[in-house]
Amino acid sequence: MAAKVKQLPSRGGTPAEKVYLIEIFKGMAITLKHFLRNLWDNSNLYVRHYPEVQPDIPARWRGRHRLLTHPDGTPKCVACFMCQTNCPADCIMIKAGTRIDGVTEKMPVSFTIDLAECIYCGYCVEACPEDAIRMDTGIYAFTSSNREEMKIGMTEMLSLKGGFPEEEYQKGLEGE
Amino acid sequence: MTEMIKLFVNGEEVEVESGKNLIDALEKVGIEIPHFCYHPALGADGNCRMCLVGIEDGRPPVVPACKTLAKEGMKVLLDADNIKKIQHDVMELEFINHPTDCPICDQAGECKLQDYYMKYEGTESRMWVPQVTKRKMQDFGGGVIHDQERCVACGRCVRFLRQITRTGELGLVNRGDDCRVEFFPGRPINNRYGLNVVDLCPVGALTSADFRFKQRAWFLKRAESICHGCSKGCNIMVDHNKEKYEDDIIYRLRPRQNEQVNGWFMCDEGRMTYKLENDNRLEECTLAGAVRPLADIFADAERRIERATKVLFLVSPSASLEQLAAVQALAEKTGATVSAFSDGYIVKDDGDDFLIKDDKAANRAGVDLLGIAKSRTHFDNMAKEADVFINFGNDLSRSLSEEQIGRLFSDTWVLNGATHPGQLGAVMEKKVGSSIALRSWSEYHGVVVNCDGIAQKFVGGVMKNVERPDIVEMAAGLGSPATGTAAAWALVQKKIPALAEFGGFLELPAEGVKLTDNEAGK
Repeated sequence: MAAKVKQLPSRGGTPAEKVYLIEIFKGMAITLKHFLRNLWDNSNLYVRHYPEVQPDIPARWRGRHRLLTHPDGTPKCVACFMCQTNCPADCIMIKAGTRIDGVTEKMPVSFTIDLAECIYCGYCVEACPEDAIRMDTGIYAFTSSNREEMKIGMTEMLSLKGGFPEEEYQKGLEGE
Repeated sequence: MTEMIKLFVNGEEVEVESGKNLIDALEKVGIEIPHFCYHPALGADGNCRMCLVGIEDGRPPVVPACKTLAKEGMKVLLDADNIKKIQHDVMELEFINHPTDCPICDQAGECKLQDYYMKYEGTESRMWVPQVTKRKMQDFGGGVIHDQERCVACGRCVRFLRQITRTGELGLVNRGDDCRVEFFPGRPINNRYGLNVVDLCPVGALTSADFRFKQRAWFLKRAESICHGCSKGCNIMVDHNKEKYEDDIIYRLRPRQNEQVNGWFMCDEGRMTYKLENDNRLEECTLAGAVRPLADIFADAERRIERATKVLFLVSPSASLEQLAAVQALAEKTGATVSAFSDGYIVKDDGDDFLIKDDKAANRAGVDLLGIAKSRTHFDNMAKEADVFINFGNDLSRSLSEEQIGRLFSDTWVLNGATHPGQLGAVMEKKVGSSIALRSWSEYHGVVVNCDGIAQKFVGGVMKNVERPDIVEMAAGLGSPATGTAAAWALVQKKIPALAEFGGFLELPAEGVKLTDNEAGK
């Protein structure tokens, strides 16, 4: 949904305007006019009826993180700690171990992102040499009533799917 | 004093020590010549060809720097086009079959291939034929894991095991792109210094199974310390890190160069002593079985010392000079007796002629210097008479059995200052009046004297989540006149004149102070 922009001329120079009180009443009249109009019909409001109406988000939108898997379902992540090293918010916590599924030698034993601390900068995605982490789930809302639940673990991140078709995501990367 | 000579590097005159090869001589003045196979402890091999430098008007005009002695008036060329081309091409050769698996390689961050690529190569690979694949994750024994693909065949590990340990487990087999390091069938690395090959390896071909995947090298904080595993006092680097929400723990110990003491190496047992620093530590201070603040314990103990007729202090032979002096000062003030009885720290016939010593105490020479008694008869006699016994971190369970300890202190009030549980035996520890959890050597600063009478400083960089006092603070809490490490150091300097010229212990030179036999009390 494109935003509607209305340019208003600058005002406030005439003597009548400098008295203020007249302008205040004029303004209140406008408010009253809008109130009465929207009372019968609110289809012209400049607001989104969230959450009934969800916003369109582009493929490059940095939403919640997910960990990618190889076609055979094994995680792409090799626990190189590039994302943790680069993270300016220090919200990624990885524990590495010996890999047991035979893909390479190393894999994360645990991979936790504290979403309460994450600033959604996308540096982890840029740093990843294996294309193992992306922020393309399209999930932008994440709430919880306690801090512990804001930490998401490896199984959860591996189970998330990308929110966009692959071509659209790759197109978003062009020029980087 | 070594003789100095003058030579020219890229046309600029520099003064270097004579009698050294170009790599070592120029390294001292801050000029780096890239190399893989040369190591000062193993000598020049000249197989990697990375250190080739140009000699203006020389015959031959290009020489390996590791095999060339620095000579007066030599004109060394490091930035000539042909030398740069050589360095670039050698690097390109090394990378032909290199797997470039830096993301899973433990050496990443301290790898010569990474450093030199950024400095001397920096180009894309021109290879289009498939790479030669070799064995990965090969267990070499002795806690060493080998990756044949990453190997640059410099032979440092092979030469170490032949020249230094003289066990010769490894060899280079085959030639060209099939060249690889192998152990002889059925005879993996099996000696007490085997893990040094991990430090020697300039790339990630040899990694330690113990440290494998624990931590990336760039996260580690480093503290220059002294190994407390035996009386040799090898210089080490303590690599530790405090991960978010977790405790500060040590991930590995690495040897630090000190030609006077350990050269470039340390033993495998010493390397593993870091585990004692991390695991199973005493955490709480108790008074009559209940957890209480330190101040209460000190006040109670101080009262008991005052009322007692005979007080015995037992110090650890691994405690630093400052700590020993602080306890001594406390003993002088309260009229107590100090003992450093620690016969159990000596493991007969365990030492060798290289680095490992029989005596597993880090500062026995320091105990002698300060004149602290350590004989068994002295300790036994005093223990029988004493009605208050205070242990300052001595692991008495090494010297005496549980029954012996129980018999000695059956009717004695005991304050046990210890780093780990079980140092007075499990039975005795249930009966102690108070116990204080102490800091261990990786957590405090100090000076220890090794078996050769070399006083060396060490810095404790580990900051545990649980606040513990060290022995100086414990002694101060009990009323010692030495209220801090600085005051204790002043006491040490009074007793050992050879150390008097150094203002603080940090002013001790990095290679340590060799005390003469006279000063060391021999």
